[in-house]
Amino acid sequence: MSASDATAPAPASAPVTQARLRVEAINTYYGDSHVLRDVSLHIGAGETVALLGRNGVGKTTTLKSIVGWQKPRTGSVTLDGEELVGSDMMTIARKGISLVPEERRIFTNLTVAENLKLAQVTARKPGWTLDHVYEKFPRLRERLTHKGDEISGGEKQMLAIARALLQDVKVLLLDEPTEGLAPLIVREVEKVIREIKAAGITTLLVEQNLYSALAVADRCYIIDQGEIKFEGTPDQVRTDEDLRRRYLHV
Amino acid sequence: MTVATTDATPAKRRRGGLLAADLRFALLCALGIALFPFLLHPLGGYSTLATQIAIVSVASIGFNLLLGYAGTLSYGHAMFYGGGGYVAAILILRTMPDHPNLWLAVLGATLATTVLAVLVGALTVRLYGIYFALLTLAFAQMIYFIVEQAKEWTNGDDGLQSLPNAILPLGAWNLDLTTHLPDFALGPFGNLSDLRIWYIFAGTCLLLVLMFARTLTRSQFGEVLGAIRENEQRSTLIGFNAAGYRLAAFAISGALTGFAGALRGLFDGSIPVDAVGIDRSGSFVIYTVVGGVQTLFGPVAGTAVIMFLENVLSAKTPAWRLIEGLIFVGVIVFLPRGLSTVFKQERDKNPRAVFVRSLRPSTEEPDPLLKSVEEGHRGGVMSIIETFKLGKFFGHFGAVRDVDFRVDPGELRAVIGPNGAGKTTFFNLLSGTIAPTAGTMNYKGRDVSRLSGTKRVHLGIAKAFQTASLYSDQTVRQNCRLAALARVQGPFRLQVLRRSTRLDDIDALAERALSRLDLSGVADVRAGDLSHGDKKRLDIAIALATQPQILLLDEPVAGMSKDEARKTEALIRKLSTEMTVLVIEHDMEMVMGLSDSITVLHQGTVLATGTPAEIQANPRVQEAYLGGHSEAELAH
Amino acid sequence: MEALFQALLGGLVLGLIYIAIAVGLTIIFGTLRLVNFAHGAFYAIGAYVGLVIAQRIGVGWAFIAAPIAVALFAVFLDRFVLRSFYEKEPTSQLLVTFGIALVVEETLRLIFGATTQQYSMPLALQGSFALGPITYPAYRLLFAGGVILMLVLVWLFIEKTNYGLIVRAGIRDRTMVQLLGGNIRQASSIVFALGAAIAGLVGAAATPIYGIDPATGFAFLVPSFVVVVVGGLGSFWGAVLGGLLIGELQSLTNLAYAPASQVVIYLCMALVLLFRPQGLLGESEVIRQS
Repeated sequence: MSASDATAPAPASAPVTQARLRVEAINTYYGDSHVLRDVSLHIGAGETVALLGRNGVGKTTTLKSIVGWQKPRTGSVTLDGEELVGSDMMTIARKGISLVPEERRIFTNLTVAENLKLAQVTARKPGWTLDHVYEKFPRLRERLTHKGDEISGGEKQMLAIARALLQDVKVLLLDEPTEGLAPLIVREVEKVIREIKAAGITTLLVEQNLYSALAVADRCYIIDQGEIKFEGTPDQVRTDEDLRRRYLHV
Repeated sequence: MTVATTDATPAKRRRGGLLAADLRFALLCALGIALFPFLLHPLGGYSTLATQIAIVSVASIGFNLLLGYAGTLSYGHAMFYGGGGYVAAILILRTMPDHPNLWLAVLGATLATTVLAVLVGALTVRLYGIYFALLTLAFAQMIYFIVEQAKEWTNGDDGLQSLPNAILPLGAWNLDLTTHLPDFALGPFGNLSDLRIWYIFAGTCLLLVLMFARTLTRSQFGEVLGAIRENEQRSTLIGFNAAGYRLAAFAISGALTGFAGALRGLFDGSIPVDAVGIDRSGSFVIYTVVGGVQTLFGPVAGTAVIMFLENVLSAKTPAWRLIEGLIFVGVIVFLPRGLSTVFKQERDKNPRAVFVRSLRPSTEEPDPLLKSVEEGHRGGVMSIIETFKLGKFFGHFGAVRDVDFRVDPGELRAVIGPNGAGKTTFFNLLSGTIAPTAGTMNYKGRDVSRLSGTKRVHLGIAKAFQTASLYSDQTVRQNCRLAALARVQGPFRLQVLRRSTRLDDIDALAERALSRLDLSGVADVRAGDLSHGDKKRLDIAIALATQPQILLLDEPVAGMSKDEARKTEALIRKLSTEMTVLVIEHDMEMVMGLSDSITVLHQGTVLATGTPAEIQANPRVQEAYLGGHSEAELAH
Repeated sequence: MEALFQALLGGLVLGLIYIAIAVGLTIIFGTLRLVNFAHGAFYAIGAYVGLVIAQRIGVGWAFIAAPIAVALFAVFLDRFVLRSFYEKEPTSQLLVTFGIALVVEETLRLIFGATTQQYSMPLALQGSFALGPITYPAYRLLFAGGVILMLVLVWLFIEKTNYGLIVRAGIRDRTMVQLLGGNIRQASSIVFALGAAIAGLVGAAATPIYGIDPATGFAFLVPSFVVVVVGGLGSFWGAVLGGLLIGELQSLTNLAYAPASQVVIYLCMALVLLFRPQGLLGESEVIRQS
């Protein structure tokens, strides 16, 4: 894992052929409900890509499809060329795809320290050291003996991200990290995401908070009603009001 | 799954009385029962066993009513079986030792077990499956140990022995059931005199119980019970009182089992203490599972086979119970419906009978039952739903807070909002699926905040689910008919003998709902086989068949293709001309194009209400969707 | 006074047996979501294996052979019989495990007969200790101590080891453990074997006190279910608290008014199910219907 204080600028948009994670025309169903329709996207090594859209349109399902939580019926998901579709969650996680879910899913019956410990115990290969984590998330160190349900929303988010980073992460999937947090805490989370980006970790960021997303993303996709509607740069999203109106707000 | 299979000749049924099919059934059963002991003979059985099998079969049928038809496992039915036996025996020993009257003893026992079933049932029916089973086990164990200890009444571990012969008073005669039948040799099948009149009596009881069970499962009560078993969530939200039905099923089940227990005790002339024991409770489970749940003959077949094996094998090998256990495990692992799966497939060769009645467009007066929301449309100031500071907190988390909401009759209102808005929770509060922790809700001016979802349906609030909640094994038409039935009969009706008398009304409601959602073409298709779009529309049709005045639709077009979504939207638009419709949706194209007005929820509270144009022009709404930032901020 | 003290100790011994079985039941439920009506079979198999080994080879070996034999049987059940039932509704699980319990009980009856059997402890352990006003059989005290030690070890395993951490996390959120790369399947299987082994060991150890016959397993299982319900399904300390409560309740009631001693524990279960269905220390899951 590269040193924490790397300050390399975000790499330019990587061409498709060098994509680290490739999602090609996946179709995912909940029962009979056709939720994702031929969704394709790619992320280059070191890139931070944002997946934008209103709620209920398939953002979380896309992430679930990648990690094997909701297996796509057709299509392919490859990591460095290796096919992931059909594998179970544990296998995909061990290959280096780490999902920080929307609800965070902290183990509320374990302490903060135990939550962190678990991530280290189940990791195939270690990622960040515990000291490094405390450095970047100082609040967690103060809460080590608190149970998972005794910490604030912002601390839960930090803990969830820290858990992922303790493992050797090839691609980090963040599902709405700023959701439900107070504005001050949102700033802190944004800062953490910037640090992750600076550390060169390939990241797919799902966000409904446009401001946060555009501030860190190298590239953006917009999804609506289960289909990818746009791929481009943050500036394009910033300047195209019509685009935003159609797909991001009302 | 054919609990609710419709009859091919509804007209005849309505006239009451027995059909040819019923007579045939009765004759077949009577024949089988009559021949049984003689067929048993060459296999090494004997007539005492035949009588015992007949009696215990009654108990198994009673047990299966609960397990197979109500879908509830009781692990304590011995409290009814043994309880019935003990009550009958005690009644005879204490009140009529010299003139033991079978009727009175059995009647008393059945009454006592029914009361017990109602008491225990009232306490247990609200609990989920495993807890229900454990609670029935607990009660049965209590009764076992009470019986074991109350030696003065029950003789404790030794059980009650040497009961006097019960006499059956029949008019002028007193029939001693232990009398043998006249001598008549039947070659390898033994001799008629092997049998006593007891067998005729027990066989007749079994026949009557079979007829009753058959009638019950095809009755209005049986139809609803099956629906509740198949999908309780849906059944509750079309207006059936699930707990009430389950209690009634438990009571009937207990009564039948108690009746059988009393007969057995009087036949054997003794009641062993393990008649109330845990093994006896377990035996009913074994008989019915092996024989086949959800079938009429299954419990009888299972009882006969297992009891026969027990009696015959036990003389030949000490491993007979092991064999029984292995059969039981084998059946559960490989054949979840038991031996009668075979029979079932034979029966299902007849295509499911269908109501072949088309509704011709009527030129007569509109059926009063079908009048729609004219009341609501009369204009005036009364809202149809109004909430005041409505709130729902889960612990510290306020999913819905301080919501003042109002919708007028006939509106088509969309409810939208970014993540965490609380839309689904809000809908669940309106439909009565969950209770509010704060605030009130009025429906047509009346406070309904504490009213259950089931009752709200009957007032006119109907909901369609985000994930279609259907009776997958039934036809599309039958799905709607069930909803219509709930509308017509009310939350609970103990009609165990026949179908509803208002089948015409029910048909009409169902057909109307089907055609409004353009499902008439697939009316006879099994609901589970429908396409996704059709399933979602069926869910709406089911809600519609309850004749609501306000329809709550939770993401009606989610997961549909563009074309299906547009088609469904058009149907919803038409519906909204007759009733109030509330829609949660994420498809903004649909929302903006379809709604009369829109309510935006954000973080559990109402952010704005207005026409689509007003909402689109509202900067606070845009901000909420952008994560709390204004458009201007994005410029950097 | 002496009778009271005897009863309290007796309740403790009985309660510890219940706890041992209940702990197994409850952690198996927590990780596998399996309602295991066959848990009594583990006790019984352990007891009979212990009996045979103790009579042929030696008591010490019995305590080693019993849990191993039971654990192997549990692994067999897990892999070949119960796999498909883990995701099914509890009613099916109850039925199939009830069937397995029946098969095991009958097999044991065929092999060993129906009469109660026992083996005696080596002479060194056959005496009694003076404890205040009473003398109490040494073996029972040793048994109690042994079970407590075993429970402490189990507790340490669950609370202090990495494996136990995975188990505890999995009880709360199986999916998240998998998303972190944890092998919850394997952890669950180990927990199943462990829960079984505990019951088997206690079965072997309790035989000199209570004897063993084919029905003993089920006879101990049903009150253990009461313990689990009272303590809370899925809670280790619930099982401990529930076991002590039920054991003492049964023992003390036996002293005060013997005929009610069995009734009272089922009354307890009924009351808990009606008024606090999640148990004393259990989680308030949704177990009511709408």
